[in-house]
Amino acid sequence: MFASTKKSILNSLEFSKASKQNEYIKTCNSENKTNNNLSMTTINRRTFIKAASITYGSILLFPSCLTSPGNFRFFTDEEAKCITALCEQIIPADESPGATSAGIINYIDKQLTEVFHYDQTTYRDSIKNLQHYCTKTFGKRFENIEFDQQTNILTSLESGELTKEDWPDGNASSFFNLILSHTMQGFYGSPIHGGNKNYMSFEMLRIDYPLVIGQNRYRS
Amino acid sequence: MKNKHVNAIVVGAGAGGGIIAKELAVNGLSVVLFERGKWPVYDEHPNDELISQRTEVLGSPFGPDPKKNPRVLLHGNNKQIVTPITGGYSNNAACVGSGTVSYGAMAWRFMEEDFKLKSTYGHVEGSTLEDWPITYNDLEPYYEKAEWEIGVSGDDTQNPFSPPRKKRQPMPPFEYNREGQVLHDASKRLGLHPFPIPMLRNSVPNNGRTGCIRNRTCCGFACPVDAKNGTQNTVIPVALATGNCEIRTNSKVVEIMINDSGQATGVKYFDDNDKPQVQTADLVVVSGAAVETARLLLNSKSELFPNGAGNNYDWVGRNLMGHAYTGAFGLFDYDILDFSGPGATVALCDYNHNNSGIIGGGVLANEFNRLPYLFTNIRPPGSARWGKKHKAFQREMFHRTAQVVGPIQEMPVFESRVTVDQQVKDYWGVPVAAMSGERHPLDYKHCKFLSSKAEEILIEAGASQTWQSVGGRGGPSGGQHQNGTARMGNDKKTSVVNRYGQIHEIDNLFVADGSIMVSGGGFNPALTIMALGFWVGNYIVKNFAGTKFKG
Repeated sequence: MFASTKKSILNSLEFSKASKQNEYIKTCNSENKTNNNLSMTTINRRTFIKAASITYGSILLFPSCLTSPGNFRFFTDEEAKCITALCEQIIPADESPGATSAGIINYIDKQLTEVFHYDQTTYRDSIKNLQHYCTKTFGKRFENIEFDQQTNILTSLESGELTKEDWPDGNASSFFNLILSHTMQGFYGSPIHGGNKNYMSFEMLRIDYPLVIGQNRYRS
Repeated sequence: MKNKHVNAIVVGAGAGGGIIAKELAVNGLSVVLFERGKWPVYDEHPNDELISQRTEVLGSPFGPDPKKNPRVLLHGNNKQIVTPITGGYSNNAACVGSGTVSYGAMAWRFMEEDFKLKSTYGHVEGSTLEDWPITYNDLEPYYEKAEWEIGVSGDDTQNPFSPPRKKRQPMPPFEYNREGQVLHDASKRLGLHPFPIPMLRNSVPNNGRTGCIRNRTCCGFACPVDAKNGTQNTVIPVALATGNCEIRTNSKVVEIMINDSGQATGVKYFDDNDKPQVQTADLVVVSGAAVETARLLLNSKSELFPNGAGNNYDWVGRNLMGHAYTGAFGLFDYDILDFSGPGATVALCDYNHNNSGIIGGGVLANEFNRLPYLFTNIRPPGSARWGKKHKAFQREMFHRTAQVVGPIQEMPVFESRVTVDQQVKDYWGVPVAAMSGERHPLDYKHCKFLSSKAEEILIEAGASQTWQSVGGRGGPSGGQHQNGTARMGNDKKTSVVNRYGQIHEIDNLFVADGSIMVSGGGFNPALTIMALGFWVGNYIVKNFAGTKFKG
């Protein structure tokens, strides 16, 4: 994912993305220092990438740096559990499958390293806030709380009821709106973007899939 | 290597520019047609709602590249940088054919009153509402050319409010889909005058291409069988076939060069390899759509026009308009939608003009097929936005929600405008367009009127529950129907171009796109932009003598 860059002409949009990106690279590196399991080769590579990005004044995205050790591109496995539970609240399984079966976590995880990279900080911080709130209030992480209790928590997120103390950056409802639209996109959009596994939402909505030009027969 | 001098440069291969290029090329002028995007390809984004002209959350399928082409939205002192992905960008595609590749393709002629709003309704406080310097009768032959050369299916005889025409539309109208038939019958019962929507699509095989297969994903997408008619599959191929026209894709025109005697001499552009280039010509036509046309004129500073080409009286970029969409939804207890494409089939013009207390009004029609993600935001007021109830509604009502909707005739506002932002630059280092201003308060009033009429039809049609969705607030306007920023007029102090699209005081520089529209009508504007393309093109052909333009 390269946005080009040797050009001297960088617009301010790119600059702002670049600075966020650099912040993130710093975060990655500082986290690395505390990670004893990290191999020397990885550190060397990251150091090299950081140096390279400075040399070229680059705003390149380095997926390797954003990848957490685990099964996802962006999320840690722990974070993924939390997001999966949140998405399942937004589109729960009933008579047809919900967000977990449709792989919405994969959609969000994938897009956070691509189109939505500027939302990375929001996701990471919000998960921390949510887990902090849940541990403090219920003694459990969000994903381990009863379904109905989780629903109540989401209602508080949506309405922005959580106090500054519970949600230090004060943006609970804007995070809620963000993950709400991402979940809907992942569930109802095309599977090529990571969600809506096997077109399961299209099946639920009774729309023809895949669309085969000239072959589909519309129901009467 | 230096580019060979040509007779004419056309900037932008959309609805206006494609037609101009063809008109000039078939009449023997040498033409270079510049397009900042590429030739569109259906297969890149088939059936993908998230990268479509309806929902650009993951990308803009027909350009421009979101990373390289920011714009600015100004709200007071608040400056927001927007891209095609973020929303608020007013994107109508950057590719050969531009919006005509992926549009819904409604083929409206404006009504006679639309050309003389001020003399029909009088002065409107806070608005620059004005009569056009041309009438419907001036444009009628060019509407006909657009209908026959691009290709329209329709039957105006079923619409008693349609303006007079000399020749029928070339192809028969489309049949109603189920929703269209139900709404047609209900409108008839109410004493209204519904009729099949005229469309720039083939109802029968036409011009060497097949008839429409009623593909579900139509509006917002390219056509997989090329049955939708745009400039990319009609006039532009004709222009190229003459041998007189060269199209330069991925070429970004950044400045019109104006010499010290106030004549346009050519353009500066970045070519396919982003290398700066110069192309000279005897005349230049700008067809970049309302936002980019204004930006290009404003970025073209010269000794005689220090504030941009044609901008000595500060009218370039003013009166940015579009269409506030407004209407109503109705829930039915049976599957009213059959999802045959494109969805919109029936319309009525009863609420265009001659409605007490309303200036203009708008056409009402059933809506283009809604795709699943878009439908997640369509709920009666107070409904759940997520969870089991939201999902159940999605499952049960996706086929059962009808929508009647239309574009309102917006009131032009002087302070609703496009400027250029000197701080924010695009990938090529050129100052980008900044959009600012608010809609006129009357727009909301007119939207409420049209929405209430839409709701009446849905109630009569048997909807078990209805609700209105009223547009027309906030701003700036713009969007895919953007228009108005290089207004046509007889007075150089209160307009940018004359009645032939010629910039006042620069007789070899023209504008031919939605920018020159004085008002946007209560209709989708594509056919009117095409007619204006033929109108301006005809004037150039008749008045161009050798290498000089004689105005």
